[in-house]
Amino acid sequence: MIQDIWNLLTGRWDFFAGLILEHLQISLLAIAIAVVVGGAAGILISEFRRFSKPTLGIVNFLYTIPSISMLGFLIPFSGVGNATAVIALTIYALLPMVRSTHTGIVNVEPALLEAAKGMGSTRLQILFKIKLPLAMPVIMSGIRNMVVMTIALSGIASFIGAGGLGVAIYRGITTNNPAMTMAGSLLIALLALALDGLLGFAEYRMKKRGRRAKKVNRVTAAVALGVCISLICAVFIPSGQGETIRIATKPMTEQYVLGEMLDILIEQDTDLNVELTHGVGGGTSNIQPAMEKGSFDLYPEYTGTGWNMVLKKEDVYNESLFGELQKEYSENYDMEWVGMYGFNNTYGTVVRRDVAEQYNLRTYSDLAAVADRLVFGAQYDFYERPDGYNAFCEAYGLHFKETMDLNNSLKYQALNDGQIDVITVFTTDGQLATVNGVVLEDDKQFYPSYLCGNVVRREVLEKYPELKAVLEKLTGQISDSDMAQMNYAVETEGMEPRQVAEEFLQARGLLR
Amino acid sequence: MESMIEFRNVKKAYGDKTVLKDLSFCVEKGAFVTIIGSSGSGKTTALKMVNGLLRPDFGDIFISGENIRGKNQTQLRRNIGYAIQGSVLFPHMTVEQNISYVPNLLNKRNKQKTRDAVDKWMRIVGLEEDMKQRYPAELSGGQQQRVGIARALAASPDILLMDEPFGAVDELTRAQLQTELQRIYRQTGVTVLFVTHDIAEALKLGTKVLVMDRGEIQQYGRPAELLNRPATEFVRQLTAQQRRTCHLPDDRLADCRYSGMRWDEA
Repeated sequence: MIQDIWNLLTGRWDFFAGLILEHLQISLLAIAIAVVVGGAAGILISEFRRFSKPTLGIVNFLYTIPSISMLGFLIPFSGVGNATAVIALTIYALLPMVRSTHTGIVNVEPALLEAAKGMGSTRLQILFKIKLPLAMPVIMSGIRNMVVMTIALSGIASFIGAGGLGVAIYRGITTNNPAMTMAGSLLIALLALALDGLLGFAEYRMKKRGRRAKKVNRVTAAVALGVCISLICAVFIPSGQGETIRIATKPMTEQYVLGEMLDILIEQDTDLNVELTHGVGGGTSNIQPAMEKGSFDLYPEYTGTGWNMVLKKEDVYNESLFGELQKEYSENYDMEWVGMYGFNNTYGTVVRRDVAEQYNLRTYSDLAAVADRLVFGAQYDFYERPDGYNAFCEAYGLHFKETMDLNNSLKYQALNDGQIDVITVFTTDGQLATVNGVVLEDDKQFYPSYLCGNVVRREVLEKYPELKAVLEKLTGQISDSDMAQMNYAVETEGMEPRQVAEEFLQARGLLR
Repeated sequence: MESMIEFRNVKKAYGDKTVLKDLSFCVEKGAFVTIIGSSGSGKTTALKMVNGLLRPDFGDIFISGENIRGKNQTQLRRNIGYAIQGSVLFPHMTVEQNISYVPNLLNKRNKQKTRDAVDKWMRIVGLEEDMKQRYPAELSGGQQQRVGIARALAASPDILLMDEPFGAVDELTRAQLQTELQRIYRQTGVTVLFVTHDIAEALKLGTKVLVMDRGEIQQYGRPAELLNRPATEFVRQLTAQQRRTCHLPDDRLADCRYSGMRWDEA
């Protein structure tokens, strides 16, 4: 494992270095804002004491909001991406900052303040000459806490499409690559420790007395400030904007692969740049609003999901409704479905090969006749969904001998081991590539169709007419088993999504 | 003689508790007035009213004939030296920075003037040049008090307010500091208002002593008068010990040359 992480870090250092830089940018910006805003708030509430309780109450409350829901609240206002991440991180950083500033100031010896006042200091002079310098050790420890916390918390920023080391963690989780997750986590920890060490050093230098030490301190502080500011500023300098296609993907292995394919093809066949935001947390529910805002230009989506979640239709989608789907996307959102890949990522039912052969099973209706002799396994949520187990059994008149709750990977193992006979699957699951079983036909079309295609903003299609042809190149190119194979290559064989995408395009003769 | 500080019918209460009842007295220019009283007598309250840290509920205070009520309190304070009990030097500043605190508030631009003032006052209070860069925590209790005095006087104020400044040092150092303070007082001619609860200190230092009890003046006069003609039973008891130290019979107590008296007063 340690060897894997090491190989990954050395082999893809450019990738990780980019993530570290992004991570620093996002967290330093949040830290800088929190220091200024939180520090000012801390000072104000210690000068005007009656505001201290309500203010601390509010920042306390904000601090207790779980980060996932905080991001959820913010997305409607600030969209997905770095801005939302910075806002969320700033909100969390406020509490330690406000509290330590307040605590530091109110605990300054009152006799000192009276002496300063009695000698004719104005309120501001007392604040800047006496209170703040004496509160500094407490404020500084608050800042150190806050910095470590913010660096760590920035890891979740990737959940909403922001950059940083969280991208590695999240990608590792969704594509079953533990080394990637560990590498990202390790780098975050190292980054936090390094910054804490730097601040500790700064604190030590601040205690140094004497003119020369002070001079050195001033120079060092100026340099450090300069580095921070230039890092932060780099966040706002857009990279080749205007000629850039921004592509989002959902946190699913196959979407990572599709995203890479689009990236490769668009950059190969046009002069456009591609900015990929992989694995946006929440999938459709966060990407669609970002598309509407124009933060993303296109993303791979599934027809059934678009029908139910975006158009909010109640009925079961099948491909005869595609014309209406296309029309409503166009009318309501100014978006088009372009380049249907061909595969259908829907629920499927797999029966172990020997059972299928024994009873000659090909369709769900065949299954109904022998279901009372078979054990059925599915992940927990399948039993809870309204279109899940109960509806499925009712539609085909199924009565299984027994049912079991199993998570996704255990399910396949149990089937191969003969502990269970029938499982419900997604039709592009990577494990399907090696399963010892047969996928049955949904002859009554119980499950909705989830054909995969790209949802693209019309504005972008009109602005870059060459884009459409590139997207059409992949039309009908990827079958269910192709996709399952590619998922398998990433999740089980540990290949990089980009490499898998490249090999596939190569095999299809799409690479030049 | 010209009046430097005048209290006119000053009253002050904290809630139901009356601290000062109709206080009126006058401090002449160049006088060293010690205010003595037990805790809760209102002596510190009276002192803090002179530089506006506390305001009278009724009555007025005049400095050099001007009512301080309408004046800019910050400006007022900058022209009045203030030294309070214990070590209240600013712990994050060096000796030099502490002493130059008020001069810096007054003349920001003229750094040379401030440096000169620091040198002058360090000499006067008897601090070595090489202590400038030290921090308060690196000084002895006596040295800290000297820095405190230098800090209070660094802007050459007309009035020096001191609230039990030597309360936290040992007997020997205190005696030394008292002698130093007397010397500085004679050297500068500053008007001093000095709060203490130690009658020996009050009699030794004061050219006049103001005895307070429960917010009222018991007696205000030269040390000899207090010893010789205590105005109330409170004063008589307060000074009983000191009267005995001269080992003179009661009818000749006025001849006791207490250290606080000047030769010409004896």
